[in-house]
Amino acid sequence: MSTEIKILKQVLSNYSKPMTLNYPSAVSPDRKYSQIPAGLRGIPERDNDKCIGCRACYFVCSGRATSIYDSDAKRKVEIFLFRCTFCAHCQEACPEEAIKMTDKFEIAVAKREDPSARVVTELDLLKCKICGTPYASKKFVDRAYERLMEKIDQKVKETVSSDFKKVDGYCPDCRRANGVGFDTHTKKHVWLEGA
Amino acid sequence: MGIIDKARIYSPWLYHLHCGGCNGCDIETLAALAPRFDVERFGIQLVPSPRHADILLTTGCVPKQFIPMVKRIYEQVPDPKVVVAVGSCACGGSLFYDDAPENYAILGSPDLLIPVDVYVPGCAPKPEAIINGVVQGILKLAEKASKKE
Repeated sequence: MSTEIKILKQVLSNYSKPMTLNYPSAVSPDRKYSQIPAGLRGIPERDNDKCIGCRACYFVCSGRATSIYDSDAKRKVEIFLFRCTFCAHCQEACPEEAIKMTDKFEIAVAKREDPSARVVTELDLLKCKICGTPYASKKFVDRAYERLMEKIDQKVKETVSSDFKKVDGYCPDCRRANGVGFDTHTKKHVWLEGA
Repeated sequence: MGIIDKARIYSPWLYHLHCGGCNGCDIETLAALAPRFDVERFGIQLVPSPRHADILLTTGCVPKQFIPMVKRIYEQVPDPKVVVAVGSCACGGSLFYDDAPENYAILGSPDLLIPVDVYVPGCAPKPEAIINGVVQGILKLAEKASKKE
């Protein structure tokens, strides 16, 4: 019933005033548009402090807009807005809630290389102590440790913590190759010291 | 600036070229032309032939079958002309973009064929965003008209 009244109001108002929306809005000086619908998905924005560079947004991106460039010591997480479909999958997938869809939508630019057409975050990468290849961002490892400590049982907390610190600083391949050895005497897997 | 150039800036005519795509951007473009959002208040008018147009507004990514038509229509628009690419498909290829292997049927953005002056990203962009893009296109048109002389 309420929708019918709404429609009737709209129909009657069409006879009394012009239906064209003002552009820019004449409602008030601080409002640019006459009408922004609730829940409009505009351009995504990333909180640089919250982003940990976990690549979750990269894996779910439907339009291949998100890309990750790893250079020597920096990871660049980038959304190219020319390819973005504003589907908000990255917002949904982000474990740290760093990506938020804003209600901005006016991003007409003249050039492909324009910096306003990209949402960029730069992160420091950790290097493996043995082979020297960058393997994960520093924030990512820190946050993983933090979350592990939040969820784990109190009894095993210290053991897990010390184990985590032991393998910290090695890439997954080196960890597998050098971290664990088989002690023939005790018939048990042991951590190799100094690996 | 001559009287013709001045008149052109106050009433640029627009030709809408639908290259290929889902029609979402076309619906938004027509909404921008229709009374609710009304680009006609800036003097912009939709024309049925590229020979009458000043602004070429393209939507959608270009399929390979459509390449000669895009080139021909661009050449038919008289100078000075401005190309406005509307939508994510026309800007960067969007969902149809492939690094390697290349898509067998779809080329991607029309800027691989013709020079695009203004990009309006969005899937689909709101009519206000299209108005903003077209108005930026008019400013470029003024620039080009003054350079010609």
